[in-house]
Amino acid sequence: MVGKDCVAIACDLRLGLQALTVSNNFPKIFSYGSQVHLGLTGLATDVSSVSELFRYKVNMYRLREERDISPQTFANLVSSSLYERRFGPWFVSPVVAGINQTDGKPFICGFDSIGCIDFAKDFIVSGTASDQLFGTCEGLWEPNLGPEDLFETISQALLNAVDRDALSGWGAHVYIIEKDKVTKRLLKGRQD
Amino acid sequence: MDALVAQYSQPSHSAQDTTLDDSLALSSKIAPPLSLNFELPPIDSHSAWLRAMTDDHSNPQCPIKIAHGTTTLAFRFKGGIIVATDSRATAGNWIASQTVKKVIEINSCLLGTMAGGAADCQYWLAYLGMMCRLHELRHKRRISVAAASKILANLVYSYKGMGLSMGTMCAGVTPTEGPALYYVDNDGTRLAGNMFCVGSGQTFAYGVLDAEYKYEMEEDEALELGKRSILAATHRDAFSGGFINLYHVKEEGWVKHGFMDTNPIFWKTKLEKGEFSNVTSKLE
Amino acid sequence: MADRYSFSLTTFSPSGKLVQIEYALNAVNQGVTSLGIKAANGIVLATEKKSSTSLIDASSSSKISLITPNIGMVYAGMGPDYRVLVDKARKVSHTGYKRVYNEYPPTRILVQDVARVMQEATQSGGVRPYGVSLLIAGWDDGVLPEQERKEAEAEMGDDDEAKEKQVKSGGKTGGILKGGPSLYQVDPSGSYFPWKATAIGKSATSAKTFLEKRYTEGLELEDAVHIALLTLKETIEGEMNGDTVEIGIVGPPADHLLGYEGVEGARGPRFRKLSPQEIEDYLTNL
Repeated sequence: MVGKDCVAIACDLRLGLQALTVSNNFPKIFSYGSQVHLGLTGLATDVSSVSELFRYKVNMYRLREERDISPQTFANLVSSSLYERRFGPWFVSPVVAGINQTDGKPFICGFDSIGCIDFAKDFIVSGTASDQLFGTCEGLWEPNLGPEDLFETISQALLNAVDRDALSGWGAHVYIIEKDKVTKRLLKGRQD
Repeated sequence: MDALVAQYSQPSHSAQDTTLDDSLALSSKIAPPLSLNFELPPIDSHSAWLRAMTDDHSNPQCPIKIAHGTTTLAFRFKGGIIVATDSRATAGNWIASQTVKKVIEINSCLLGTMAGGAADCQYWLAYLGMMCRLHELRHKRRISVAAASKILANLVYSYKGMGLSMGTMCAGVTPTEGPALYYVDNDGTRLAGNMFCVGSGQTFAYGVLDAEYKYEMEEDEALELGKRSILAATHRDAFSGGFINLYHVKEEGWVKHGFMDTNPIFWKTKLEKGEFSNVTSKLE
Repeated sequence: MADRYSFSLTTFSPSGKLVQIEYALNAVNQGVTSLGIKAANGIVLATEKKSSTSLIDASSSSKISLITPNIGMVYAGMGPDYRVLVDKARKVSHTGYKRVYNEYPPTRILVQDVARVMQEATQSGGVRPYGVSLLIAGWDDGVLPEQERKEAEAEMGDDDEAKEKQVKSGGKTGGILKGGPSLYQVDPSGSYFPWKATAIGKSATSAKTFLEKRYTEGLELEDAVHIALLTLKETIEGEMNGDTVEIGIVGPPADHLLGYEGVEGARGPRFRKLSPQEIEDYLTNL
């Protein structure tokens, strides 16, 4: 979710096997460099593999180029990496959120499982509760929210969406990303 | 009297005339006329068609999503019967409602529980309530739990293979039977027993219930156990949740012990008793 | 059969030298002189376009090449080897970067990729080193050096020591990679060097001596072109005109080369070659 000079990204904490809740501490957001964050929903084993793959790729980038990757460049890296698996895709739908350190502008985008980028100015949703998230985000989001208001908005949007999805919930993580600060918070959601 | 009975035993939309004089033939005679009043799709195999259209399990793309997913339990103990359920209704992964009343009060002494198709349970348990009332009127005494559950079992059996989906428990206390508990499902299965858990969260409920259950429990212990078992199931089962509906059936009739949100109960159980230690309440 | 002879031609001599690489450098040092000068707002690459006969159609041959819209390259040494390297550089800038990140590689990354190609030729079986040295000039987006210095000063205020530290460590862009112009030389061994101004080829030594005298910090691109032509004049044997001198510049975005207009945010290439007419103009003002 985009705010004024800030972005937010949030995820629930459930790991499940169909109806069975296997774990309630499975974060789906990963941090690459200072401000770039990647959210991954989908097949849990691929969520782990893909997050590790990008850790490797981003670390290599940082060593080679002696700089942090920008969210835009990272988004294109995600896209090309996913398309490499065009005929045997990773079962994930990623979301990227970050702030470009050169111009200080917020950046978010989403992808399908084979790398088509969905650039958005407002919000990106993904996962089993994406229908519900579209509803809550569409209803709650407004332009130019400050960091605290953005936190409230994204939290309410996520919590209320997952409360209408059987396969999501069990707590949540929220990251508020500002130009030189990242705040991570735990939301105690319903545990049913 | 018979005329009166006949008038009520026949649904208003029925064109067929049925008279009842033999109570033993009650279920078999009542069921057919009712069943004939359902509009059936103009195809050869109803059950196969229904399965294709509504069975989420065999065909996840099925166009009609019937509300499913539940945890219900009931167990006998020395003080009567505890009946407890969750309150979530799901259609696919969509949580259609968090406030479903899955305990159906058939009459002041009989409770039914609801698992499977919500509409099937609601309709047929209401129908069972009617049948039980008619039995009372005819015989001037309350129906036994055994007989009531059998009406239901025979009824669903007559629709066997047509896609009815229900797993229900009939709980009641009568002077003749004492506390009686029956399990009836859409296959036509009818079982008497001390303890049943039904629904997608049944295994989780059984886990807690089996570990702690004793027939010689006190009433407060039994109520707490019922509540705790449902809580465990709502936590682990995605398709169970919402509120805990708790009943205690005694000889004098049933007593409702609340319709309680699981969320505060969960955190209370976790923070005060140290249970559910798998759940993180602090950031790292 | 092929396997058996597929050992590297570049083997160490007992004294620890790789003589093949030295021979390759000899080939470079016989080549036509090329030079590059980095200015504050751009870079100039210049070389002499020699032809043995006046019958050659000079306008159809070219020694300075565009690699990416912001990076250009010139050489000294063997022409055919250079063309192969231009192809490989253009290709690797796409396969190794544009197709991955959807943007062109920064100059240093491209230089490293080209240097790797050249190094591999010193260690692989059945090949010889490339007989060329390259000058690669490019412009990178990012924080410009003077802009960074200003920001650091504003942040640090009067604390001179901290200011010094910040500027030295490279500030927020980190390490070597900053925005702005950069000029590199790549040798047949695969080693590469960043330069403010340099020359390669036959008269490299004398040209560098000349450049050392003429180079000043904070040079403007126009002055750099001027100096480039003066340096070339020292070494050139024949006549100097628009057909015998080749110049490539990295400067402000050349939007007129975009081929279209009206697209917001679209910028033309920063690297472009000067037309013979433009070169003539510079020469008359020399």
